[in-house]
Amino acid sequence: MNNQPAPQRLLSWFNPLGRNPGSWAFILNRLTGLGLTMYLFLHLMVLGRLAQGPEAYEEFLALTKSPLIKLGELLVIGAVIYHGLNGLRVVLTSFGLGVRRQVQMFYLSVLLALVGTAIFAFRMFAG
Amino acid sequence: MNSPSSEHFNYPTGRRAGENAWLWLVKMITGPLLVLILTLHLIVNHYMGSAHSGLMTYNDIVAYFRNPLIPLIEIIFVATVVTHSLLGVRGIILDMNPSQKVLTWVNAVLLLIGCSAVGYGIWLALVIASKST
Repeated sequence: MNNQPAPQRLLSWFNPLGRNPGSWAFILNRLTGLGLTMYLFLHLMVLGRLAQGPEAYEEFLALTKSPLIKLGELLVIGAVIYHGLNGLRVVLTSFGLGVRRQVQMFYLSVLLALVGTAIFAFRMFAG
Repeated sequence: MNSPSSEHFNYPTGRRAGENAWLWLVKMITGPLLVLILTLHLIVNHYMGSAHSGLMTYNDIVAYFRNPLIPLIEIIFVATVVTHSLLGVRGIILDMNPSQKVLTWVNAVLLLIGCSAVGYGIWLALVIASKST
């Protein structure tokens, strides 16, 4: 059974019932990973403007002053901090380190991601 | 050892069922490396530039790339982040238990996307390095 194609497993992602913290960590890791992958390719495409000279690049920088882009950047910051810290947690536990503290490490990753995002939000909008 | 339950660990590991152990190791090594490079990337590009906010301007970037070490580091960075992200996407696809035929296509498409992105990254780094302010 294990090696049969099972795209319907996708639906089980959206079932919030009966999940433990590790499961939420896993889901958040995937969502942030997918989001960051999309951001990465957008980022690489946009940086292509550097090849077109200073005017093209500064024109793009002016665009990043819009509140909507700033909000998007905040999402990226939150996703990066969470994905990075939770990723370190996964690496540690994969090698058998800190396994008993894995739930605390997950909560710490979320907390630091929220705090970090709040700090950057303050810097961007009020600072 | 090969009982079906061996796939269900009671603690998190980054390894997907069916994922090659070497590719898993690549993901485990590139991850912490990216935490390090990304932190530096953010500090340099957003806080050490000459713009009022600290963001790098076009001239800052061109001047920064004049050090031949920088394009090299940036190219390694692009290759690392593209590899890590596409291995992550492949992990998600693997969890949907694709047939061998589908997986072969998935591998080919991801490899094509990855090589194109890294090729583009190398080209862009070299173009910026060749600019003058």
